[in-house]
Amino acid sequence: MGTQDIPATLDSVPSSFVQFALADKLINLCRANSLWPLTFGIACCAIEMMATGAARFDLSRFGAEVFRPSARQSDVMIVAGTISHKMAPGIKTLYDQMPEPKWVIALGNCAISGGPFVYEGQYGIVEGADKIIPVDVFVPGCPPRPEGLIEGIIELEHKITGWRRWPKVKPEWQDAP
Amino acid sequence: MNIQETTQQRLSELFKAIGVDTGENRLASDQSTDGQEQETPPRLPGIIEMNYAEKGFHLDVLIEQEQLLRAAEIMFDLGYFLESITGVDWIKEDLLEAVYDFSRYDFNLCRVAVRVFIPRLAPHLPTITGVYTGANWHERETHDFFGIVFDGHPHLIPLLLPEDADFHPLLKDFKA
Amino acid sequence: MSEPIELQQDETFVLNLGPQHPATHGVLRVKLTMDGEYIYNAETVLGYIHRMHEKMAENRTYPQYMPNMGRLDYLSALSFNHGYALVVERAAAIEVPERAEYIRVITVELNRISSHLVWLGAFVLDLGGFTPLMYCFDDREQILDLLESVTGSRLTYCYFRFGGLYNDIDETFIAGTKSFIKRMRKELKMYAKLVTGNVILMKRLKGHGRVDRDMCLRYGATGPVARGSGINYDVRRNEPYSVYPELDFEVPVYDDGDSFARYLVRMDEMEQSLRIIEQALEKLPDGPVNPEKKPKLIKPPPGDYYAAVETARGNFGIRLVSDGTKNAYRLKLRSPTYSNMHLFDEACRGMLLADALAFMGSLDLVIPEMDR
Repeated sequence: MGTQDIPATLDSVPSSFVQFALADKLINLCRANSLWPLTFGIACCAIEMMATGAARFDLSRFGAEVFRPSARQSDVMIVAGTISHKMAPGIKTLYDQMPEPKWVIALGNCAISGGPFVYEGQYGIVEGADKIIPVDVFVPGCPPRPEGLIEGIIELEHKITGWRRWPKVKPEWQDAP
Repeated sequence: MNIQETTQQRLSELFKAIGVDTGENRLASDQSTDGQEQETPPRLPGIIEMNYAEKGFHLDVLIEQEQLLRAAEIMFDLGYFLESITGVDWIKEDLLEAVYDFSRYDFNLCRVAVRVFIPRLAPHLPTITGVYTGANWHERETHDFFGIVFDGHPHLIPLLLPEDADFHPLLKDFKA
Repeated sequence: MSEPIELQQDETFVLNLGPQHPATHGVLRVKLTMDGEYIYNAETVLGYIHRMHEKMAENRTYPQYMPNMGRLDYLSALSFNHGYALVVERAAAIEVPERAEYIRVITVELNRISSHLVWLGAFVLDLGGFTPLMYCFDDREQILDLLESVTGSRLTYCYFRFGGLYNDIDETFIAGTKSFIKRMRKELKMYAKLVTGNVILMKRLKGHGRVDRDMCLRYGATGPVARGSGINYDVRRNEPYSVYPELDFEVPVYDDGDSFARYLVRMDEMEQSLRIIEQALEKLPDGPVNPEKKPKLIKPPPGDYYAAVETARGNFGIRLVSDGTKNAYRLKLRSPTYSNMHLFDEACRGMLLADALAFMGSLDLVIPEMDR
């Protein structure tokens, strides 16, 4: 699938041969803290994505609550659900429509590997979003909890800026006997 | 007269020429012969009253292909709505079965399953979209999954499968 | 009815609504032939999230297939659990203890409220109101907390077992549910003030998206869509299953058949569900939640079985064809929105595009359940 053939856009960006290190860092910091996800729910995980954006979990605390309905205005695509063969070209088109720089979060087991819908002789689904588009962060779960998606977004910020702004919380079960 | 008897009476007009069959369940007899009789299904067209508590539906009607449209008209006349259309692939008997589920909106509970058996190689059925408009998608879906061709259907293209799909995944001999 | 599009006028153009469109609540695609702002013809294209549920039933044993029910309709997963459990229990002749039946009803009704809350939030969001979404999701989180404490998951529940449940409810759950009922009664009054009486909402919904009784019959529409068109049809009443006959509740029916009627039906249903939960909690008997005698391997005798339940969106029916082995020979899932959405093609003709989207929202679509 042609995505890999697209020349890396960084070549044409001046910063790759003229380094504006501090400016780059600053720009990336801005990008990381105001991610605009694409409003694109496919299946169950989309409801958890909505829940993440809504009252209790409040994604806007992390600056990623501006869900844009158009791919041309967004820079993170959250693939939230199973990708069927019929939908795959559509997802590729949406990804291509997004302006650079862009990132992809594969939310849930279906977007990671096909999840529970993989069996021998399956005819309908693409086994993982990374088969058609490059994926930056994988968030496992069926569906992942909203905390999972928030962690995924923090992880993406980490990837963009190179450092993690939020502390890592030690899971409770590690302390248990 | 309750609705079940009325339905039975109205539907029995389809079988005047053949006579009503009150034989045992076709599947049960299938098991005993272990699919040896391949040419004809042992059950003759007719109506069987089912035990609702056990099976979940009241009347099991087996009809011939050409009676389908008339049966649908009778059901519509009696105020039934079409719940679904589906197929079953009986690969051992070399037959395809189409099942039409009917139910009612009012409190006279009566679920009717109308079945038709058709040969597996040339599966053709008349469309009932003229009677039940909602049969449109159900027939398209059955065409997707089993390859049953509904003659006279206004728009028989894949609905759930990709537009260029040429396979019928719910057939038992389907390999991806 | 989706006929091949034949252009009658030079002025028409084709507009693709979806598969990625925020108002379609998923990956639904409608090919609209537009005459200016008016819809001339519509053809729905499904299958963008076809996940082979029916084929999987043939590849998995009966218990293995239960998790699929949670993924089929993720908003009212427990109703689908219930439908599948019913058909297999019927086929394999498994008795369900009474306590389990009551807990089933309690959890299913809680799930129904949470489903309607998502619908309400998303529906009003479609119409341009953002605030109700936040309130709805806040209330929904209370339900999810309760259900999570007994089922173990937030959304795609796999709580029912053949003959019983995964685990019993405890005092905390009962106390939590009781306080939730109190809270929800207050919230429903708030919604009535905030949303129902809103003039803009009324103007967008009243008189638009008319579906009459005849159309429901021809398409086999069920659930709130049918009840909004004056059809008193609720599987819980018409074909009583579980312990619903012992509980006192009303089936809200409105005769107008427009988007507003469907809206009111769902709002009333939330109230009725609260009533059901309240009564079920009162009547909740003691005892085990799983039968003492239960077959280790579920192999229903050969034959056809049917079961139907009322989900948040309408009549969900399962036809199970068993051949006596541990896998189903054929499992047909009759999903409610499949029939409800089908009438959109006919009913939206001549509507303004914006009204058609309000109409679509009032049908309460869950796409994976349609595509299966």
